[in-house]
Amino acid sequence: MASPTRSSSPVPSLPPPRPKSPPQYPDLYGKRRELLKVQMLEREIGFLEEELKSLEGLQPASRRCKEVHDFLMANPDPLIPTNRKIRRSHRFWKWLCGKSCFNFSWICCCFSGCSLRLSMPSCCNCCPSMKCWFCRWPRCHWPRCSWPSCTWPSCTWPSCTWPSCTWPRCACLRCTCPHCTCIHCHCPHCHLPTCCCCYFCCCLEKPSCGQCCTLPSLSCPDCDPCSGCTCSCPKCTKVCHCSNCTKTCCSPCYLC
Amino acid sequence: MSVAELKKRHIAATATVNALREQLKQKRILLLDTDVAGYARSQGRTPVSFGPTDLVCCRTLQGHTGKVYSLDWTSEKNRIVSASQDGRLIVWNSLTSQKTHAIKLPCAWVMTCAFSPNGQSVACGGLDSICSIFNLNSPNDKDGNLTVSRMLSGHKGYVSSCQYVPDEDTHLITSSGDQTCILWDVTTAQRLSVFGGEFPSGHTADVLSVSINGSNSKMFVSGSCDATARLWDTRIASRAVRTFHGHEGDVSTVKFFPDGYRFGTGSDDGTCRLFDMRTGHQLQVYHQQHDGEVPLVTSIAFSISGRLLFVGYSNGDCYVWDTLMAKVVLNLGSLQNSHEGRITCLGLSADGSALCTGSWDRNLKIWAFGGHRKVI
Repeated sequence: MASPTRSSSPVPSLPPPRPKSPPQYPDLYGKRRELLKVQMLEREIGFLEEELKSLEGLQPASRRCKEVHDFLMANPDPLIPTNRKIRRSHRFWKWLCGKSCFNFSWICCCFSGCSLRLSMPSCCNCCPSMKCWFCRWPRCHWPRCSWPSCTWPSCTWPSCTWPSCTWPRCACLRCTCPHCTCIHCHCPHCHLPTCCCCYFCCCLEKPSCGQCCTLPSLSCPDCDPCSGCTCSCPKCTKVCHCSNCTKTCCSPCYLC
Repeated sequence: MSVAELKKRHIAATATVNALREQLKQKRILLLDTDVAGYARSQGRTPVSFGPTDLVCCRTLQGHTGKVYSLDWTSEKNRIVSASQDGRLIVWNSLTSQKTHAIKLPCAWVMTCAFSPNGQSVACGGLDSICSIFNLNSPNDKDGNLTVSRMLSGHKGYVSSCQYVPDEDTHLITSSGDQTCILWDVTTAQRLSVFGGEFPSGHTADVLSVSINGSNSKMFVSGSCDATARLWDTRIASRAVRTFHGHEGDVSTVKFFPDGYRFGTGSDDGTCRLFDMRTGHQLQVYHQQHDGEVPLVTSIAFSISGRLLFVGYSNGDCYVWDTLMAKVVLNLGSLQNSHEGRITCLGLSADGSALCTGSWDRNLKIWAFGGHRKVI
């Protein structure tokens, strides 16, 4: 085996490596952000100086207050009590209403000469629980009052707990009235007490659950001769839902 | 210029801005020679007087299984859409209390809802940063849910409020936690204009509410966590027309006054204010002294005439302010059958005959005038 030959001349040694430090990158991100902030502030200064200038010669606030005052005094408001003179003829009906309210309330309310019939039937004393507008309020048990809301106390819509039910399809309302526009429950297993939130059902037919429409006074027998179908509004044009009724009733406003 | 020099310029510019704002504030104080209530007293006006049964709750709309966050009436018929923590929108017939639609939302974290002017669509938005549009006439999917007809994507933060431009079913304005408002073309789902953001001057914190001027739909006002309200012209997105200072907390709600020249604001500082759009004057402050913690204003609405200002508070109160006299004339929160929790939203029907309130108690209630027209 031949031995490696050694060179006779010395090999110059390389200098030790000197790794360079990474170059210093300019802090562009911070500078640009700072520049942007300054630009926005200087723009804001311009806007504020413009606004200060616009205040020169600006009229005081009293001028605008007067405009608000004049506007408010000029326009009526359906939610604000107003004062109106009450005619003598109405006072008679009001008195009559108060004396024999159960029988004459609907007359009073329908009385075309009633000066207060403006969206406020005047048999307000007839309804034992609340004023006439609210005779249709669910909690009023006035025999003539029931439409349009369901007062079934155990109505638990939409909290059906049957596992296979998925709200809102399961609304626990088994109303089968063809006119009903309630969200119906299609769950065959729904076991919660159902209620009829559709006025129609109480008069036309009972829903299939058999538990609904047990409200007093508005079940079908009471609809003949439509004692449950009186409407106090003289302008009413809606068809009564009772199959035997020939009266018309309506709700021109949500308060009826 | 070095970063250090820029920082010096920043400090100097900030000081200049603050000094100019202080100058503006002082000049405005000098121009406030009276407020609306002071002027009305000088004319001998007296506050509106309500009897205990004049404004009553005549409907309770039950059905949501979570807190109600937002509501809106249709512009013609008496329908209401409400949005709730239960992740659903419900469309109600306010006359009959019946529910006509119950829409399960793709994102349950909804914060706002609105009806389109024609009443055929509803829009909603929330923590998904998207404004979703539903056509109420479209058929349900196989699961019985109404499908989204448009998704307006572009905000980089939650959608806090939305409103359709009056009489324009194709345009809608949203406000967002990303500090901007956006005008959308609903048909193409495109952003037409972005108001605010980093480059154009705008709000410097989350925007919580918008209100479009019913008399001039090119103008709208926004309220923000930066304690200001800003007036915008939809034709000029580059800058706000005017900034309204005065509140000391987040401006959580804004509403235009019926005359179209003023707007009201409500804030976490517990006050409501009436500002003049054209001059910037703060015309009135509506503030009630409280012992202890000051309740936050969550929602406001003007009656159709503007004489009444309905204000919902975080403690469940719903004050009815006489706008003219700056007096509380009624507290719906103390009436029989009132809400049992914070009132989060309220709105007047199109004909002004009814107020609907929504609450953390999961219900909506409708209030109307139940009193007599009194005898002189």
